[in-house]
Amino acid sequence: MSKRYKTKKFIVKREYQILAFILVFIAAGLVLLPKYKKNEGIMPELFVKNAISSERYISTDQLADKIINQDPSVLLIDMRSEKEFNEFSLPNAINIPLKNLLDDDYIGYIDQDIYDVILFSNDSFYADQAWMLGNRLGFKNLYVLKGGLNEWFNTIINPKYPDETMPREAFKLYDFRKAAGIYFGVGAPKTEKKAAPTKKVITVKKKKKRAAEGGC
Amino acid sequence: MGPLIPNGLIPVEWNYVIAILIGMAFGYILEASGFSSSRKLAGVFYGYDFVVLKVFFTSAVVSVIGLYYLDYLNFLDISQLYVQPTYLWAAIIGGMIMGVGFLAGGFCPGTSFCGAAIGKIDAIVFIIGLTIGIFVFAEAFTFLEPLFNSSNLGHITMVDILDISPYWFILIFTIIAIGSFVFSDWVRSKVKKVFY
Repeated sequence: MSKRYKTKKFIVKREYQILAFILVFIAAGLVLLPKYKKNEGIMPELFVKNAISSERYISTDQLADKIINQDPSVLLIDMRSEKEFNEFSLPNAINIPLKNLLDDDYIGYIDQDIYDVILFSNDSFYADQAWMLGNRLGFKNLYVLKGGLNEWFNTIINPKYPDETMPREAFKLYDFRKAAGIYFGVGAPKTEKKAAPTKKVITVKKKKKRAAEGGC
Repeated sequence: MGPLIPNGLIPVEWNYVIAILIGMAFGYILEASGFSSSRKLAGVFYGYDFVVLKVFFTSAVVSVIGLYYLDYLNFLDISQLYVQPTYLWAAIIGGMIMGVGFLAGGFCPGTSFCGAAIGKIDAIVFIIGLTIGIFVFAEAFTFLEPLFNSSNLGHITMVDILDISPYWFILIFTIIAIGSFVFSDWVRSKVKKVFY
């Protein structure tokens, strides 16, 4: 018998043993393969795509418009510390300090898809970090207020009067910002109180009645 | 249809076409491997033919190994797969009724249609019985509903219950499968052979 015939005979005779061995071998491969930690949340490619998209920002003007129109879908989240939050913040904002972002108490505010969550801090720095954490975990509808409260102050609270050479839109925007500022309670036009014009009192001296003199 | 339709690689209308093609392929394989004969299924109970057990156990083992390799290589996410919810008592009682039906009729629903397609009268009778069963169940559903909806354990798997690594579970499961094949071959060698 040739050697090749022998191997063939072996394979045919032990067909099922060989197949069973292969099956166990492949299953054992799963156990023996080195384990690695899987990425949590969305795929890195998608994360980068989201991160470089400008759609994740909302401008202060857009936000002011939403607040003034009382858009019910907006949820404002202040990422600064509690102390800073207590000093000033945006109307109806919720305070979630960055370090507590993923706490059980707060995660319900950002891990949902009912509201458009707008994150802000003094600039966009903390808010960006929070956005990245959230987006990586696959939370939906997260936005960052571009420029944060500093930008808010520079545009809405204290807008700059446009130069004479600027286009008409700049003036319109200025008007909008000025009006928005008034809505938020600042920069109301000063109404000069005109003092009521004092009436000049002309004192008319009454002539003393002269004693009647003898006439003709 | 898997990742193709949700990702928009092919339009939704292809769902039915693909379903029909897969169904035809499935029916062809069933018939080609002799499942359209009621003796094949009954053979598992009488101990002269264990092909059904071997086929379905092997397919389960192969697919679970394949799925976990795909998951390991990041081609799919196991946690995203849909797990049927477990209704414990409903499943036990339903399984018993179905087992009796298997034994008495010699068909499972799929193979009965396969048998009917090649003109087997017992398969046609089985389908009539199956339809009557569906009708009775539908009419009696109000009474059966408490059982139907009770003991819902949610989307659980053996890995959740036993709290072990899925890889170890797959290995043990594979060994159990092969052990059962060896055992069934042993039983078969003891039982009088039936030719059909």
